[in-house]
Amino acid sequence: MSSVIKTLHRLEDSLLVLLLGSLVVMASTQIILRNLFDTGLVWVDPLLRVIVLWLGLLGATVAAREHKHIQIDVLTRLLSQNTVLLLQFVIDQFSAWVCLVIAWHGARWVQLDYEDGITSFIGVPAWILEIIIPISFGIIGLRFFIQSIYAGWHFQKRHNTQAASDS
Amino acid sequence: MSLTTPLLLILALLRTPLFVVIAASAMLGFYSEEVDLSVISIEIYRLADMSVLVAIPLFTFAGYLLGESQASTRLLNISNSLLGWMPGGLAIVAIFACAMFTAFTGASGITIIALGALLYPALKQSGYNEKFNLGLLTSSGSLGLLFAPSLPLILYGVVAQQMSLEEPVGIDQLFLAGIFPGLLMLVMLAIYSMMQPGISSQHEKFDRRVALAALLAAKWEIPLPILILGGIYGGYFAVSEAAAVTALYVLIVEVFILREITLKNLPVIMRDSMVLVGGIMIIIGVSLASTNYLIDAEIPTRLFEWTQQHIGDRLTFLILLNLFLLVLGMMLDIFSALVIFVPIILPIAIGYDIHPVHLGIIFLANMQLGYFTPPVGMNLFIASYRFDKPVMTLYKATIPFFLILLVAVLIITYWPALSLSLPAL
Repeated sequence: MSSVIKTLHRLEDSLLVLLLGSLVVMASTQIILRNLFDTGLVWVDPLLRVIVLWLGLLGATVAAREHKHIQIDVLTRLLSQNTVLLLQFVIDQFSAWVCLVIAWHGARWVQLDYEDGITSFIGVPAWILEIIIPISFGIIGLRFFIQSIYAGWHFQKRHNTQAASDS
Repeated sequence: MSLTTPLLLILALLRTPLFVVIAASAMLGFYSEEVDLSVISIEIYRLADMSVLVAIPLFTFAGYLLGESQASTRLLNISNSLLGWMPGGLAIVAIFACAMFTAFTGASGITIIALGALLYPALKQSGYNEKFNLGLLTSSGSLGLLFAPSLPLILYGVVAQQMSLEEPVGIDQLFLAGIFPGLLMLVMLAIYSMMQPGISSQHEKFDRRVALAALLAAKWEIPLPILILGGIYGGYFAVSEAAAVTALYVLIVEVFILREITLKNLPVIMRDSMVLVGGIMIIIGVSLASTNYLIDAEIPTRLFEWTQQHIGDRLTFLILLNLFLLVLGMMLDIFSALVIFVPIILPIAIGYDIHPVHLGIIFLANMQLGYFTPPVGMNLFIASYRFDKPVMTLYKATIPFFLILLVAVLIITYWPALSLSLPAL
């Protein structure tokens, strides 16, 4: 199991590096082509924009792995460690289900586009470009779910040890 | 307004990731109107329709590369050799260097981490008092937000362009509009630094050889602003293309010419920069959905009618706007504030005859204050961690800087020409 997770992590990281690398190279080539040779490839611009979508969503899945999503931390400072853990459980559950619902409905949309054979620029099937949405939200949702289990487990453990020391 | 709105607000304040809160509000809205929820994914896919967004990963990557290289030291040396002779020299050096660095790296607190470490001991040695140093460095961490190519400036343009205004907001216009207001802030802080007691004796003589050496050391980085601004206003490339050129240029310089970043480290930097981009892009994505719902439900129109009824004149509106944005800046990071509130505020502001470009500058100038406004301004915590001081000490140290910049924000708000005269040329 842990090797599957490690492989997934490595896959995400490598894809990020690969996509960013190709973004830099292709965007620069396009400018050189246009300014020096007065030409350009029509499919590059839409492809660059799709790469940005993929970069953003993959970056967001990695951010979920490392608790780096933007959040407001105002009230938790005032709460006890126990309450924070319990809250974390609730909030991670909530986040998990929001993401999983988006992933589920996204997958339905991608499937429809697949069945209807919808194509994007230069004949690339649209579903291939779109599929990153259900995949990334699915992974993010699962990550929140696992993190909530973790928080719940820690809360339970603290709760038990405190009960033991009280009695 | 139902029960769900306050509930979501509480969840947001309890550390729920903001993109989840925004997505949930959009989903609830569409659900109540019986719209198929795959609409959320379809809206997120619109991220791939916006060519300006290409600028975000590219500028962020370039900023991360600069942050990891020795560029900060070189920038400091140049500023010191050129400005160090003035009374209050080192403080002025700090102000200008921080602003330049923030413009390029985005106001993610990296300025305090990278430059603070160098400037804090230096300021102390030159005899500035501790409180002044801490206040200066903490408030300088968000200085430079108004200068190109800062990410929040670009993001404001992105959001405003989504709104199909009569008069589209160009990012190139925003870049120009930020110059004078940004300079105003720098100059006001510089004057305050000069007035510090016992400082006038603490300055070095201008040395042409030292200045030349510092300039020469940074010969690869100096062309960057010229490349970006010259390229855009010379009509050679669009903003997203300028970002590509910048990323490629910085990559070649720092990795292959100066070799301050090893090839082994490069993938790590690429990945880390994209994690930040991911955090921003997913918020933009889900807010495309929530904004669409807001417009469907005619919420901006209703808010607009409400404000028109209750707030008669432009001046009152601006005062309330300033207050609102100050509070917003305390609670919310700049990226989320932009994507959530610009779609709501912009149509209202236009109704009071406020130019969209001017509104952008007002918005960002206000948010800049929020970075170090207690109790939750992000830079207060970064500075507290970096300088190993209690947050309370920093609250007190930043008060004079807050007041000075507040005056600057008011001038920027009530004097539109300061922002609008350059783009109008």
